[in-house]
Amino acid sequence: MSKFKKEGKKNAPGINTSSLPDIVFMLLFFFMVATTTKDADPTVSVTPPEGVRATDMTPYKQRSEIDFMYLGKPRNAARAAEFNYGFALFLDNVAQPDPGDLYSTNYIRQWKKDKFNSKPPSMTKPIESVITCVKADREAPSGIIFDIRKELQEIDALTIAYAVRDKSNI
Amino acid sequence: MAKKEIPEINAGSMADIAFLLLIFFLVTTTMDKDTAYVRSIPKKVLIKTEPVDVEKRNICAILANSKNQLMVRGEIMNNPDDISEKVIEWYTKNEVTNDVTNNFPMYSRITMREIDEKISEFTAVAEEFEATPNASADMIDFKWKQVTEWENKKKALKLLGKSELPELHFQAHVRIEVQKETAYELFAKIQSELEEAIFTLRDKASNEIFGESYGVIKKRYDANEGDKSKQAQAREDKEKLDLLKILYPDRFIEVTPKK
Repeated sequence: MSKFKKEGKKNAPGINTSSLPDIVFMLLFFFMVATTTKDADPTVSVTPPEGVRATDMTPYKQRSEIDFMYLGKPRNAARAAEFNYGFALFLDNVAQPDPGDLYSTNYIRQWKKDKFNSKPPSMTKPIESVITCVKADREAPSGIIFDIRKELQEIDALTIAYAVRDKSNI
Repeated sequence: MAKKEIPEINAGSMADIAFLLLIFFLVTTTMDKDTAYVRSIPKKVLIKTEPVDVEKRNICAILANSKNQLMVRGEIMNNPDDISEKVIEWYTKNEVTNDVTNNFPMYSRITMREIDEKISEFTAVAEEFEATPNASADMIDFKWKQVTEWENKKKALKLLGKSELPELHFQAHVRIEVQKETAYELFAKIQSELEEAIFTLRDKASNEIFGESYGVIKKRYDANEGDKSKQAQAREDKEKLDLLKILYPDRFIEVTPKK
């Protein structure tokens, strides 16, 4: 008569996975809160220059007071020769009637006006203070930037932002 | 018949569903912050006017040519990191005492009495304009804006707590002149250096006057601006920022390149 029960052969118990969804949901919510959705995948490749003390555009984005345009080398290298200096302009979120217009500065006025008219009614800023953010490639010639400025001046869209990658450590 | 128990729903695939959602969000979102330098474009002028003569000392010209070479106030500069120091020197050289012999912009120091006089003077002009028949609304608006400008200076001087308000010459400005082929990288670098210079100047003044960093005030103002319950704090910060802006105005002109 033994005091201790002899241990029988026992299978290792299965790990309870019922809390796994909770963990994954937690991850999911973190990413939902910490990120913003992409506006558009630009068809030009842009490597922004670096700078310090730049203004964060997120609050403007949340209030939809900002429109983005991209200036860079076309991803389709065969098309590069068609454009001035080999750099093309991509205006986001607009269905372009003619693919040729996609890359020239001629379309900026129409694009900006369309964008302004399709803003939600909660956005009350006049067109002068709606920011146009230019995301330009570091090698892009400044001449194109000034062409863009001129087009914006024509329709009184008087606030421009030059996108950079902020390297100051705050 | 025996009572049948309701079978439990198998939640094993719940994790798969959650993973699917997670991966969807990972793919469609971006994590990088959009940061940029916000600048305003001058309004289009319809009436041609004669260009105004500006003294050399009031211009801080930063030139960059098509070969990406830099020149600041007539001096060739090899390292673009030094621009901010040059700009700070240009801002502060005559800040304490005006020296007529050097080539830097003058400061005027205005007292409270002068500001009060200006306010009543401009108010009288604005009222007169309003009473005139056929006066354009733009003109009346412009005259009232001048009054507000002086009232802001009054507020600034009160906040500064000194007998005089130092003010940079009204024509003094920083000028960025690039050529068409100048790389955007250099253009952005110049903007970055200017921003750095302005930040350094305002931060120093802010620490001296309020014992608080400029960045801290600015961040707090941005956070409180839209919050209805924190309007008092936001107003106070706004006045502080206005004072710093009057002390070190960011007057940057970007010249459209001709060639």
